[in-house]
Amino acid sequence: MTPTNPREPSRDELLAMAFVDGELDSAGLKDFEKRMATEPALAREVAELQKLELLARGWAPPEPKDSEWQRLEDELLQSTGWTLGWILLAVGGIGLGLFAAFEILTGEMAPLLKFFLAVTIGGLTVLFLLVLRGRLRTLPLDPYTEVER
Amino acid sequence: MILVTSDEIPGQPVGEALGMVRGSSVRARNLGRDIVATLKNVVGGEVEEYTKLLAEAREQALDRMQAQARSKGADAVVAIRFSSSQIASGAAEILVYGTAVKLSQAPTPG
Repeated sequence: MTPTNPREPSRDELLAMAFVDGELDSAGLKDFEKRMATEPALAREVAELQKLELLARGWAPPEPKDSEWQRLEDELLQSTGWTLGWILLAVGGIGLGLFAAFEILTGEMAPLLKFFLAVTIGGLTVLFLLVLRGRLRTLPLDPYTEVER
Repeated sequence: MILVTSDEIPGQPVGEALGMVRGSSVRARNLGRDIVATLKNVVGGEVEEYTKLLAEAREQALDRMQAQARSKGADAVVAIRFSSSQIASGAAEILVYGTAVKLSQAPTPG
């Protein structure tokens, strides 16, 4: 994937550009799709090019409130406030979760109910972690996250 | 590829209709963005989190439609329509469809 000459794109980069621009013929397209399925670096290259194409396509003139939002975000009070708010929310959420788990374990509840509650929560946690893992794995290949409006 | 909402492309006669093409996408933001969007809902104004969500879904659906049109060997898609519906709270579903066509004279690239 590294170009032999930094000023000239490699053959794979040219192929990726042609793929994104829809310029490959059907045989070339099939070959390229096969390669993309087995070469993660090539798939990432395509995602990057798609991201650039989307940025160019989605370009819109700035609106008056954009710069005001930016100024607001740069203010210390605003940025500190966001951080503090998220920290408090996260701590509160984790604390509530732990307290609920503690109550389930030590509270007066039928043992079988405790067991099934714990299994349900455990199952949900495993499923959530799997979904999160999938999202994190595919995030670099999702060019649409850069689209703004 | 030329994409138009009109039934015809001025100055470029349609040579052949290749059938309907469509693309759809359902996307969601994350819990954090949903919390911020909910708070913005209280005070009013644009909810940028959801504007962005809709834009992401729109572009992805458009790309999928174009990919299908390309696979049919189309030069353009005419009569494009957008449609949306709500599948889940906080998720955006966009469906875009149109008619893939081959132009009598192939458009010049660029």
